[in-house]
Amino acid sequence: MTERVVFSPITRLSGLLSAEVTVENGVIKEANTSSTMFRGYEWIMRDRKVSDAVYLTQRVCGICSLAHGAVASYLLDQVFDDDLTDNAQYLRNIMFAADFVQNHIRHFYLFSLPDFVVMPNKPPFLNQNLQDARLSAQDNQRLVNHYFEAIKAAQKSHEILVLFGGKAPHQHSFVHGGVAVAPSADKINRALALLSDITEFVKYCMIPDTELISRVYRDYYMLGITPGRLLSFGLFRFGKKNEQVLWGSGVINGNELSSLDLSLIHEEITHSWYEVRPDNDTPQPCLEPSPFKPGAYSWIKSVKYADRFFEVGPLSRMIINGFYRGGTSAMDRIYARTIETSLIVQLMKGWLEQLVPGPPPIEQKTEIVRERVIAITDAMRGALLHSATLENEQIKEYNIITPTVWNFSPKDYYGNRGPVESALEGTKIPSKEMIFTILGRIIRSFDPCLACATHVLDADQKKSVIF
Amino acid sequence: MRQEQYISLCNNWSRSPENFLSEELLPVIEQYRLETGKKLPVIWIETNDSGDNNISFLNTSSPYVGRVFQEMIDLLYSNTFMGAQGPDALRLLEYAAQQYRGQFTLVVEGAIPVKDNGIYNIIIKTKEDNLTALKAVRWLGSLAQYIVALGTCASFGGPSSARPNITGSKGVRDILDREIINVSGCPVNPDWFVGTLAHLLMYGKPKLDDLGRPTLFYGFTVHRHCQRRSYFDRQVFAEKLGDIECMFSQGCVGPRTGSDCPYRQWVQGANWPVRANTPCIGCTNKDFPDGSTPFFTPLPEKSSGNDQNPPSPRREVSP
Repeated sequence: MTERVVFSPITRLSGLLSAEVTVENGVIKEANTSSTMFRGYEWIMRDRKVSDAVYLTQRVCGICSLAHGAVASYLLDQVFDDDLTDNAQYLRNIMFAADFVQNHIRHFYLFSLPDFVVMPNKPPFLNQNLQDARLSAQDNQRLVNHYFEAIKAAQKSHEILVLFGGKAPHQHSFVHGGVAVAPSADKINRALALLSDITEFVKYCMIPDTELISRVYRDYYMLGITPGRLLSFGLFRFGKKNEQVLWGSGVINGNELSSLDLSLIHEEITHSWYEVRPDNDTPQPCLEPSPFKPGAYSWIKSVKYADRFFEVGPLSRMIINGFYRGGTSAMDRIYARTIETSLIVQLMKGWLEQLVPGPPPIEQKTEIVRERVIAITDAMRGALLHSATLENEQIKEYNIITPTVWNFSPKDYYGNRGPVESALEGTKIPSKEMIFTILGRIIRSFDPCLACATHVLDADQKKSVIF
Repeated sequence: MRQEQYISLCNNWSRSPENFLSEELLPVIEQYRLETGKKLPVIWIETNDSGDNNISFLNTSSPYVGRVFQEMIDLLYSNTFMGAQGPDALRLLEYAAQQYRGQFTLVVEGAIPVKDNGIYNIIIKTKEDNLTALKAVRWLGSLAQYIVALGTCASFGGPSSARPNITGSKGVRDILDREIINVSGCPVNPDWFVGTLAHLLMYGKPKLDDLGRPTLFYGFTVHRHCQRRSYFDRQVFAEKLGDIECMFSQGCVGPRTGSDCPYRQWVQGANWPVRANTPCIGCTNKDFPDGSTPFFTPLPEKSSGNDQNPPSPRREVSP
């Protein structure tokens, strides 16, 4: 017996996401994940001054805004050939780390936890309809309490970001050439105090809570499995020219770890709501939105590396850098995110202690030395790329490939599935009532962010995005 | 507490750098709840946005979001926070819209694409139909008691409608022919949003400015209350980002931006953009971002935006 099921809205994530699955005799045979929002951000970026990129691209995403600000700053550092002082490098990474911790705590507790914990039956948790709830009443209540504690811990992490960045989301001081705020003793001290509270929360709540859920729901180590192809652009850039990266980039295909080669990245639009039309103004064809295109089902394009789909995110980073040994299941993803959080709070403390009180560590050069630039980093959800072509300080083309594009790629020309769709395919659905609970658990383990994923277009999709 | 006292509280506290409004609000709300047991029913839909406003909302401190849920609002639908998912969430939306008809506050977070009948933003899909943002705003907008446009995208179009705006995105006020309470900002400061909800709960509609924004938060320009105003008055300008002088030379839009950022600041009063040695980019404005770009170009020389109405530093500078 075959049944078509529409899972929409998939709540508790950033942006709008739907999925359509075909269930045959209790097994998911096919899954189409569909991003249903489009803003055309790459068009918005055109014909603007390149120095606008840091503030403007942060508006791509609210939950990971600093990741866009960071990678746009790396890009501008190249455009102007800026040199970064030690203080600038530490401050930038402290701010980036604070946004990571904010993201991971909020994802685990506010978005993922109600997949496993029965929340109180009042707003905003009405109709939770959690099937397969397994925690004891006592454990369940403890985790509900931690949901509300998590709100405070994540807010403290944003307070650290605001101390140095002026505002959050969408900070102001992390721009090309360094950071515009002075690392003064009072700020360092306040940040250390906040970090100490956050670290306690991670140690005494987030880690044990993750362990509890991974123990009680251990069958999710066998569910939501991707084919073992993992990719990372590396995280936490250091060096005068951002030339070093603390957690390395890499590509895992099966058991083999190889180094990253950006020229192997390609995008395609077979099942995406875009089409290529000739452009009279330029020799290159022009990519345009096409919301009624037959066979298309998502605003996300398909992105591949060496012609294969790759999973990105904390799990990829942790495995590639040797911090985690395990599989590529839904529970592995949840577990790796918590491990990463605990590693990052430790790193932040070390970096705060390395800061030397002094003037704002910023020196912005004004002469443009490069007009074709590309910058990469890992963001909270995985690999993030910005590339730009300039003409007299003006942006001609700006391309962004976000982590959610990697994970939520629709099928390619040959019908190959992207990471999330392959994680869903083959999943057993023991009873009809269970379907949304199971789908929700697997899909949210990827920490989807559709706001990020859905406004990017690049022209001439047949060519590599890399110059 | 009477409405006049409440407004005076908001105004006075926003002018005092030593204190935060939200700490003063909490006991007031608590007392009101104990006296009346009433909460504000809220339906919150996310449209074309970045999700920054729901993250900023999570940064509210007194009250924390947990207390907002417990004591101030009954959040019946929210793509970001609700426990329900899939068809259960849709059923809850339909139930809440009918059950609280004429009583609920509709919060719209994001701009509304109107091109191609709104196909660029689908909130919920079913086997039969797509509920687009456009359709949802018209449907829920006809049933709500109040409509709050949360953030600059929902208020005026914001970054989602920045040129060339290929999705035809608009603010809620350009979709519906009724009064909209615009709580703009990119993102909104959580105090502006939670404070507006508190006003609706306790006193009904707040006093609005000519852009439909609560005057108690947007009534004065950033420039008026800026800590660096004395530099401006003496014409001492920063030479670069990171300097301690007036940021007008670095592109600051504070002179034509209504907001209380200089006093309220962000996340426990930790900082705000000018204090971070960078310009205010005017994110609460009707023409943000196009009227503010290039961000680091001084106000009189900014070129983009609506060219028929170029921003001038004099026109909107308040005394």
